[in-house]
Amino acid sequence: MIAQREPAAVAISVRHLTKRFGDTVALDGVTLDVPTGQVLGLLGPNGAGKTTLIRILLGLTRLTSGEAELLGRPAGSRDVRPRVGYMPQDLAVYVDLSVEENVELFGRLYGIHGTRLRAREEEVLELVQLSDRQRSVVAELSGGMRRRVSLAAALVADPDLLLLDEPTVGVDPELRAEFWEFFHRLTDRGKTVVLTTHYLEEANRADRVVFLHGGTVLAYGAPAELKHRTGTENLEDAFLHLVRAGSGRSG
Amino acid sequence: MALRRVLAVTRKALGQLAHDRRTVAFVLVVPLVLILVFGYGFGGQPTHIATVVVNEDQGTVGSALLAALPSGVLDLSTVSSNASAWSAVHSGADRAAIVIGPNFTAMAKAGSIQLTLYLDGTSPTVAGAVVSAVESALQSVFSSHGNGSAFRVTSDYVYGSSTTPFIDTIAPGIMALAILFITTVLSIIVLVRERSAGLLERLFASPLRASEFVAGHALSLTVVAVAQVAVLFTVALVIFHASFSGNVLFAYAVLVLFGVGNLGLGMLLSAAARSEFQAIQFIPLLLIPQILFAGALFPLEAIPVAFRPISVILPLTYAARAVQDILLRGWGVGGVALDILALGIYAALMLGGAILLVRRQA
Repeated sequence: MIAQREPAAVAISVRHLTKRFGDTVALDGVTLDVPTGQVLGLLGPNGAGKTTLIRILLGLTRLTSGEAELLGRPAGSRDVRPRVGYMPQDLAVYVDLSVEENVELFGRLYGIHGTRLRAREEEVLELVQLSDRQRSVVAELSGGMRRRVSLAAALVADPDLLLLDEPTVGVDPELRAEFWEFFHRLTDRGKTVVLTTHYLEEANRADRVVFLHGGTVLAYGAPAELKHRTGTENLEDAFLHLVRAGSGRSG
Repeated sequence: MALRRVLAVTRKALGQLAHDRRTVAFVLVVPLVLILVFGYGFGGQPTHIATVVVNEDQGTVGSALLAALPSGVLDLSTVSSNASAWSAVHSGADRAAIVIGPNFTAMAKAGSIQLTLYLDGTSPTVAGAVVSAVESALQSVFSSHGNGSAFRVTSDYVYGSSTTPFIDTIAPGIMALAILFITTVLSIIVLVRERSAGLLERLFASPLRASEFVAGHALSLTVVAVAQVAVLFTVALVIFHASFSGNVLFAYAVLVLFGVGNLGLGMLLSAAARSEFQAIQFIPLLLIPQILFAGALFPLEAIPVAFRPISVILPLTYAARAVQDILLRGWGVGGVALDILALGIYAALMLGGAILLVRRQA
């Protein structure tokens, strides 16, 4: 067990975050605190601003105004990068390399080497159930398996914060359930997991969810709380309810 | 810059190559094909030139001259008159005619000869080969027929000799040109692949710095360039029997340095382009001016004066000149220091530019 760094109570802190691309406003005054040790579901339709928010947190996109901090440091700063694992929505693994070569590459880029790298590799490949395929070239694997390789690459360096863009797409229900168990095992160890998903029902397993809509936070809270507040049975209905209430208010 | 992350990138890139045997073959076959094509295409001397002869000489020197022509260069056929010799060249049936007049032997003995050549000037190379074949025959005939002082041509070669094969003189330029082709194109393509499927974005979300990314790829591509230069030298030495008077290893190192600059250029262009398609479009734009204006295949003196300044900004100019000076003139570091400096600056600028631009694509 690696000694935890001084645990900040808040893993992600976003204040009045705005991002404009020319005349388009992708994020419009987003304010959000994500407590350490939780799984946060980032929900919303295409174009809601989920990917832009994640890219700003990673330092890949510059914010227009506002503030974004990860683990107590400005988003994208050099000392925070080694502690943040990322799985993009695109496949983003080298299809012409083997499973283990991909995982080892990202391990090395995040600063782990030698026996520790070997041990971490074994652990994450077991988790994504690819131990028997570690020498296979990714191009030979199915779509679901490729996404598991991508997840393994995000996990290998044991980061304190995980940003996962659609980690469960194309993963069968049984393994998806295991992923969620694993996410909670990580949060039990003080890690924080932020993920986006299209399966609104699986977001019920998140500690908290954020509904993003048109670049603004429509609602933020525990799934049960949001359902209760909207008087709905599931997150999908809760989301629709909030969208309609929001548009009713403004128009 | 962290060496470990640089090496992680290098290892990854070489791993990709190792998995792709076809690309490995490609990477080694392309220089082979290029040097063979250029070598046979540009490096050959004209041989078996169709030539007609009119020999009206009443003595023996005319026949001796014909017998002394270097073998294989001219394919001789005989016609009976000056007029038909001219029309053979005029019709295009023959490239040249050698007209030996009736008094040739007498003139030779008197120490002054008259020899007429009809030449097809449409190919200066061919015409030049005919002239030099005839001149060399004249020299050998008159050195053995005494009293030849009026015709003796004294040739003093500072570099090379009258028998230096053309391929020797052109091989350095061909090798530099081949390296330009291969390294530039390969690095453009390698980086284009990185841009696909969100890989660059993922790499730059990690602690990896742009400088480490560029250095890692530069290292792996340098490994490839080292192998490619080896192929070029092997072909030049074994297949073309080129013989160089200078230090082959030094020339090897200069070619690799040139390769590093080119792969920097490839990465820079790939990073600057907005799409993969755009990146590929840079290739002809980059290569054609250098083929023509860098003095690699054609001497700079063959370029119109107005265009010669272009060569100053073409990296191939410095690479070709340095490799020519090293291999053909036997010069050492002192002689080519400025060219090496220019290649070093080129490499630094290109790699630096690639570092500045590559993150923008993430």
